[in-house]
Amino acid sequence: MSSQLEALVALQDLDMMIREAKDPERATQEEELGFPLSGVEKLERTRERLAKQIDERLLQTYERMSRRYVRVVVAVAGRVCLGCFMGLPTAAKRKAEAGTVENCENCGRILYRL
Amino acid sequence: MPTAPSIELRNETYLEHHLRPALFIPELKSKKKSAALEEMVAHLAQHQVARQADALLEVLRQREALGSTGIGKGIAVPHARSTMVAERAVLLARSSKGVEFDAVDESPVHLFFLIVAPLTEKDPIYLQMLAQIVRSVRLAPVRRKILEAPDFAAIRTLIGAQVGNE
Repeated sequence: MSSQLEALVALQDLDMMIREAKDPERATQEEELGFPLSGVEKLERTRERLAKQIDERLLQTYERMSRRYVRVVVAVAGRVCLGCFMGLPTAAKRKAEAGTVENCENCGRILYRL
Repeated sequence: MPTAPSIELRNETYLEHHLRPALFIPELKSKKKSAALEEMVAHLAQHQVARQADALLEVLRQREALGSTGIGKGIAVPHARSTMVAERAVLLARSSKGVEFDAVDESPVHLFFLIVAPLTEKDPIYLQMLAQIVRSVRLAPVRRKILEAPDFAAIRTLIGAQVGNE
């Protein structure tokens, strides 16, 4: 996985954590179980730093798509996008092997292969 | 009369169901927070729960930055959802000497339940498991028995009894 994709995955995980920590219902549930959630601002600062490591165009794509999807960066299993569960053409793999960031032709999500 | 899908969901919510012998560390080597997280994540990666250990470790560290999951009385429940997790899993680890984990009561942690889950829109089972863990270890005699249990099977039975008594 490229360093850009790794940074995007980290950003996506962090975004989910921040979103849940800011969700009053979810935060109350965790706090009632004894888990304090006082460090949201710290996570937001980490997010800013992480976002700066990502190519501007790639980041813009991620930000735009995250308004539509909870998971923008998804895995490919076999030849199937695990975001929309549609098959990918063989050419997509060649593109990924060439080191470019790959998008699902059906839903547009950013793909990663393991 | 309950339908088949609701029975399946009920079974899946059992904490017991997610406790696997392969995901048990009887004695952690690490004594510090960061190293203990690293040791537990390495164990998860070894058992194919984490697709990339480094990414999972980072998200767990960020979760700790949000607030310590050391909830006191020698218990910590580190938990996070990550793109790099293939399936919901619970790792159980013990430390007889204790790990400095910035717990809310500043006591060393002797018992860890590390929960990881894939990044999905909603995962009510994840929260239910979190609640079940917290409730199952709320009594001091149960915590002591878990720490002194001879093997994983005995711990699983103890926890199962607590969850079943809810």
